[in-house]
Amino acid sequence: MDLASGYYLGVTFLLFAVFAAIVARTYSRKQRERGEAPKYRMMDDD
Amino acid sequence: MNQREGYTDDVVKGFITWSIIWGVVAVLLGVVISLQLAFPQLNLPPYLTYGRLRPIHTNAGIFGWGIGSFMAFFIFITQRLTKTRLWSPGLARFQLYLFNVVIALAALTLMLGFNRSKEYAELEWPVALLVVVLWVIFSINIIMTIIKRKEEQMYISLWYIMATLVGVAVLYLVNNAAIPISLTKSYSAYAGANDANVQWWYGHNAVAMVLTTPPLALFYYFLPKSTGVPIYSHRMGIIAFWSLVFMYLWTGAHHLLWTPVPDWVQTLAMAFSVMLIAPSWAAVFNGYFSMNGQWHQMRENYLVKFLIFGVTFYGLQTLQGPSQAVRTFSAFIHYTDWIPGHVHMGTLGWVSLILFASIYYTVPKIYGREIYSVGLVNLHFWLAVAGQLIFSITMWVAGIQQAAMLHATNPDGSLHYSFMETLVEMYPYWHGRALGGIIYFASLLIFVYNIVKTVTAGKPAAVTQKA
Repeated sequence: MDLASGYYLGVTFLLFAVFAAIVARTYSRKQRERGEAPKYRMMDDD
Repeated sequence: MNQREGYTDDVVKGFITWSIIWGVVAVLLGVVISLQLAFPQLNLPPYLTYGRLRPIHTNAGIFGWGIGSFMAFFIFITQRLTKTRLWSPGLARFQLYLFNVVIALAALTLMLGFNRSKEYAELEWPVALLVVVLWVIFSINIIMTIIKRKEEQMYISLWYIMATLVGVAVLYLVNNAAIPISLTKSYSAYAGANDANVQWWYGHNAVAMVLTTPPLALFYYFLPKSTGVPIYSHRMGIIAFWSLVFMYLWTGAHHLLWTPVPDWVQTLAMAFSVMLIAPSWAAVFNGYFSMNGQWHQMRENYLVKFLIFGVTFYGLQTLQGPSQAVRTFSAFIHYTDWIPGHVHMGTLGWVSLILFASIYYTVPKIYGREIYSVGLVNLHFWLAVAGQLIFSITMWVAGIQQAAMLHATNPDGSLHYSFMETLVEMYPYWHGRALGGIIYFASLLIFVYNIVKTVTAGKPAAVTQKA
């Protein structure tokens, strides 16, 4: 694997780490109610 | 309460009108070129040939019908989800004029033969520059509206809208990098395998950012609005969004399996394509689970019928797509008529059914009228589904036969059939495809008639809707 391929792979893992952090935050207990709130508010009459 | 609140709905009306017009052009041209394949004598060189008309069909469909409608609904949805007026109505009106100028110029230049020879990126650099201006002013308007929103938390549709705005900008700028040598001719900034890799990074992500994220934004908005029941899980929607965005951009090279592109790039694209099943089906399940206890609405509510069939086609599309991205299967069906069957399940099934539902929901709201004929809506629905299925199934069968013939070998290893022999066997299928297209076009005319009659002769809606 050359340097460019290693860089490509590194960026992939970095993005995966960011994604994993988003999953952890979204499904944390603190976020349970807050994370679902928009689906109720969008039902307001437009 | 739309006009009373000052929402900019006149531009929404304009975009809906023009996107329908371009949609009719796109499907009509699709029927014409399908007939040109079935009956080659219908090609009238130099302007009215398959080669000239096919890119106009795809550009009118994806950019005229697709992007035009998405512009309408992004403006409609963003204002309502942010409870904020559009940042600049004047800019939006200018955007509507520029949009039509660009699509008309695209059709004209492509018919004259000015073509960069890159699929879905055919437009020569002066028109491509206008596209950039168009997208920038559209993005600024939507993003500024979101920035000054009155709702702190953003509903899932807004995430998809922002991904579309950013994604299309990046893709279009990178793939359209070119060196002009005259007003009508330019050469790509990339060469050889790199050029192919960039092109299909763009090409496949045009599917992502034009034909996936915008309809998902609409689906997440119009399904709960149509059923009166919130989406099953907003958090699952958020995770599906981020995983889709994370995975999609790596998959373009699956269009280049068995080519000189490095093997590891192909493998990466294949792996990410298969992984993409998860976020795609998370959206499908979110839709299905939202229907828990509401399935009776499939009979009673024509909007739900369009939306659920649409998302079902999305689910099927996102199983078929990753399958095609696997090397062994790709080796069999690539370069055959299987591919247009796959593509049209996405465009005619998934994207267009969602757009039809969105228009059927929005037009009565913004014009303050009830839909003219529910019977015609149902007729439109069944003809559209029948036309799409006839088209796609015919092409899948054709593709399998074509692939089998192309791969058939004699005991000495030589090819059993010549290319011409495989081509001749395709004619009955091409007739079938034209029939599917004609049925779909008929459904479109019914849709247009119903919408025109709704606007001009529909009963005034109830006060709560109309105001």
